[in-house]
Amino acid sequence: MPALPVSRRQILQISSLLLASTALPALLAAQQAPAGGRLVVAADSEPKNLNPAIVASNGVFFIASKVIEPLAEASFDGKDGLQPRLATAWEGSGDGLRITFKLREGVTWHDGKPFTSADVAFSALNVWKPLQNLGRIVFANLEAVDTPDDHTAVFRFSKPTPIQLIRNALPVVSSVIPKHLYEGTDIATNPANVKLVGTGPFTFAEHKPGEYYRLVRNEKYWGKDQPSLDEIIFRVLPDRAGAGAALEAEEIQLAAFSAVPLADLDRISKVPGLKIVSRGYEALTYQLVVEINHRRKELADPKVRQAIAHAIDRNFVVDTIFLGYASASTGPVPKNAPEFYDADVPSYAFDTQKAEALLDEAGYKRGSDGIRFTLKLRPAPYFNETRQFGDYLRQALAAVGIDAQIVNADSAAHQKAVYTDHDFDLAVAPPVFRGDPAISTTILVQSGTPAGVPFSNQGGYANSALDAIIAKAATTIDSGERTKLYNEFQKIVATDLPLINVAEWGFISVASDRVLNIADNPRWAVSNWATTALQP
Amino acid sequence: MNRSLRLIRRRLLTSIPALLIVIILTFLLLETAPGDAVDAYLLSIGGGDAGVAASLRQAYGLDQSLTARLWLYLTALARLDLGWSTAFERPVIDLIAERLPNTLALMGSATALSFALGSTLGIIAGAKPESIKDIMLSTISLILYAIPSFWLGLLLSLLFAVQLRWLPTSGIETIASGKTGLYRLMDIARHLILPVGALTLIYTALFLRVMRAGMVEAWKLDFVLFARAKGLSRTRLLLRHVARNAALPLITMLGLQAAAMLGGSVVIESIFAIPGFGRLAQEAVTGRDAPLLMGIILVSAVLVVTVNLLVDLVQAAFDPRIGASEASS
Amino acid sequence: MNLIHKLMKTPEGAVGFIILAIMIGIAIMASTISPGDPLRIAGRALVAPFTDPALPLGTDRLGRDVAAGIVHGARTSLLVGAAAALAAIVLGLLVGLVAGFCSGIVDEVLMRVVDAFQIVPGFLLALAFVSVMGASLPVVVLAITLGAWADPARLTRAQVLSLRERDYVAAAKVIGMHPAEIAVRQILPQALPPVLAISATLVAAAILTEAALSFLGLGDPNSVTWGSMIAEGRNVLRSSPWLSILPGLALIITVVGVYLLSEGLAKALAGDGPAMQGKLRNGAAP
Repeated sequence: MPALPVSRRQILQISSLLLASTALPALLAAQQAPAGGRLVVAADSEPKNLNPAIVASNGVFFIASKVIEPLAEASFDGKDGLQPRLATAWEGSGDGLRITFKLREGVTWHDGKPFTSADVAFSALNVWKPLQNLGRIVFANLEAVDTPDDHTAVFRFSKPTPIQLIRNALPVVSSVIPKHLYEGTDIATNPANVKLVGTGPFTFAEHKPGEYYRLVRNEKYWGKDQPSLDEIIFRVLPDRAGAGAALEAEEIQLAAFSAVPLADLDRISKVPGLKIVSRGYEALTYQLVVEINHRRKELADPKVRQAIAHAIDRNFVVDTIFLGYASASTGPVPKNAPEFYDADVPSYAFDTQKAEALLDEAGYKRGSDGIRFTLKLRPAPYFNETRQFGDYLRQALAAVGIDAQIVNADSAAHQKAVYTDHDFDLAVAPPVFRGDPAISTTILVQSGTPAGVPFSNQGGYANSALDAIIAKAATTIDSGERTKLYNEFQKIVATDLPLINVAEWGFISVASDRVLNIADNPRWAVSNWATTALQP
Repeated sequence: MNRSLRLIRRRLLTSIPALLIVIILTFLLLETAPGDAVDAYLLSIGGGDAGVAASLRQAYGLDQSLTARLWLYLTALARLDLGWSTAFERPVIDLIAERLPNTLALMGSATALSFALGSTLGIIAGAKPESIKDIMLSTISLILYAIPSFWLGLLLSLLFAVQLRWLPTSGIETIASGKTGLYRLMDIARHLILPVGALTLIYTALFLRVMRAGMVEAWKLDFVLFARAKGLSRTRLLLRHVARNAALPLITMLGLQAAAMLGGSVVIESIFAIPGFGRLAQEAVTGRDAPLLMGIILVSAVLVVTVNLLVDLVQAAFDPRIGASEASS
Repeated sequence: MNLIHKLMKTPEGAVGFIILAIMIGIAIMASTISPGDPLRIAGRALVAPFTDPALPLGTDRLGRDVAAGIVHGARTSLLVGAAAALAAIVLGLLVGLVAGFCSGIVDEVLMRVVDAFQIVPGFLLALAFVSVMGASLPVVVLAITLGAWADPARLTRAQVLSLRERDYVAAAKVIGMHPAEIAVRQILPQALPPVLAISATLVAAAILTEAALSFLGLGDPNSVTWGSMIAEGRNVLRSSPWLSILPGLALIITVVGVYLLSEGLAKALAGDGPAMQGKLRNGAAP
């Protein structure tokens, strides 16, 4: 059994991880990195389109990232926070109009054809730019991709495009698909969207709808001695409460993305043979946000928004709703993005008296029934925590005299009500921070987005100064200057409160002690799992 | 036999307009729903700009008028084409063919078991109304029947799958086990024990109560009283006349319950992660997948009609009076 | 009065009556027994039952008082059960009466609609309806009604058909009574008892259906229901099983009470008239 080459740095990471999970004896085994085995993982959804080049979402990446690879993956310690995948090097020109990628040699598709720069050019121009939900923004100004040789791709832009943005977006937007299977077909309905063909460490074996996905080891993978596992099975367990039981019964070995309810973690952590890992989601930070409809005259008053911010006890949210697996937010950029994060912004401490004073000042006194005004509150239905926060917010607002009536709806109805019909006063949303403000948090406050676009500013908020900063940052080439613009952005948002950032959280993995290397990069859950191993 | 044929014809003739009403109502229900298939999809992928939404609406045919889409669906249905699922990007018929067997296995075995168990226990209870045995069985069944199936399922799975680890927690079979033939069947049976058990306990209570009530009535029938007076042995009387008479309402109940049982599978399938009809229906609603939901409701309705037809035929065979009155109503 | 007297003489009826009287009492007095919003955060999260006198049954994940939830949940459950059953009976009586009385094409059309609702699994319909309309108490009641009105309608029609040809109805026709008047004054009172006999099981089924909907996350978020308490507790079933077990017990006791009352009523009525029809017809809720 050949030992995996493990860098010193990796070992340190692994060992600190293992120490944290008090599984010291497993350290030795990690160095030996056993090969083989079948890893069974809980999956809570079955995306109908599994192609990550078209659908850049975590639900798709969770399964597809093992089969189809991006140009680069996020990294804890690599240059620019990246580690090479299909690209080995990248360099931007000074004017922001060109980026040159050096591509990995000796890579083949799962069907045996060689991987070349033509595949990258095809993916970028025919899929990422026109079809992909995020690529449409990132590559909006992509004009052409030159392929001087089989292993060089030069992206040419019509307007200056910040290399910082491209770099931050690479792990998410740059999944490469094989040109020879897609060219000349209807890309959106190509059968390869559900039966994936990629270059990754695992090949797509089968999907039994309602039951499981099966991926098997790619014997010809370019990574030396990778992958470790023989097989990965994603077992469909749509019901979240079922994952914990399945883990305990040893039917599955890993439940990622907090498939085990947070409330059950305390007990699970005491089950022998199971470990709780909160690393591996650093680049997948979700933000708990209160969206505000500024069309309501009460909410258009900054004093009222400040009062609401003061009425929320962030400690309670973090400790009771997230059971400590989250941190309080200060503004629209999470702490997990140190490149952009700015702590020096106005903050709103939990203070009901101040909240009441602000509401009185704004002219909304308590009526004879103790109520100042009534709001319609729509918590997003996607997470337990967003629903629970909705329940909590209703109580927190009641304490300061605002009567919030919760309206629960399923995903489609929520999307229509909030983002198309604007039929809400407050909404609870869990947007994801995707490594760069340009492709995440800014669209929540920027004006001018047409109705119907989910996770965008549909609250009718418009601030021309803020819009100008966002527009300027989109074309600012110099990373330092661009970062400064985003610091300014954070200050304005935290001062004016177009929305209220409450908390930010990553997910939790619960795994059998036998599963090794399960958090070796900041997007681990949605990365390729080439190093993940299973002790017999 | 002529009467049976008439019965079948009558059932089928009345079923067609009823099915048509079902389809149209389901269609209108989804039509009035806030949010459409595109909204559902966009959310599931974490967003997309307005252009994506518009092109998807066109691809799904959602840019056409309501009547045009309904007409399209109905004409396709006339060719026995159930349409295309937008949530799964697959033909509806394939999805149904994949999931229906799981639900049928679950409901079928629960029904068969509870019918057998319930009628037997019902005979025991009804053999001597108001006896200790009867009171005990009646009380237990009353309580069992009041238990929500999801609650019972939760507790059973907690005890047998998680604590004792005798049985798997969820699923319909061991995934990717490579088992075939008898081994695979046994594997499926092992997975079905808990969900079937939960349903069986509750439905047994129902059948027990109906059987017992029928027996109590039957004891009062003239010919039974007469036979008793004649000195017929109690056991013989019990099985030959009383139980036989009481079995009729039990069979009627089977028909009446078919729809309720199919609906009840939704919750059990959700708890035990069984990829069946109930879960598919939930997914169809969440994805605002009109063709899929209509397909599911239509197929369930056809199933219910079929079960009722069978019940009618069995009843007609048992009791000549029933078929005649039904056929003319 | 006579009926209640007879009812209390049967053991089932007496026990059922007492259980329900207590539950209804709790439901009516909910705001007095446990004042304030039962959804408010009352203390530390996950306090075990019988450890804190101020929170006798402990608290849930967010620190909400379980006792308050159960008390106020009684109100929601009984309200939903009674409202849905009432709506189903009124709708069923109306449709059955019109179908039976008018006969011909009206009857044919109405009965096909009844057929349609009888062949569709009621819970599937309720699930789709609530998902689509958004969960609120009126929508939940309406959803349950949709799945429950067909049985009373069919029962009423059968009654009407058998009554229509009776002498006193014929007599009323002869003296020139308006058909609607005949329907309401002569036929309705006679058609009512068998429908009322299944009312108790309709209530029980409605309570169970509401709980199942809430369990699937389709309950009204602004009011406590036992089903949603069970669903919430499910996430911590292993560490804090009481959160699911207590509301489950409350639910079972209530439903047992309804069934017992219905049995008692059947026995009490048995002396008065024909045997009860369609007992437990609607019983099987999920």
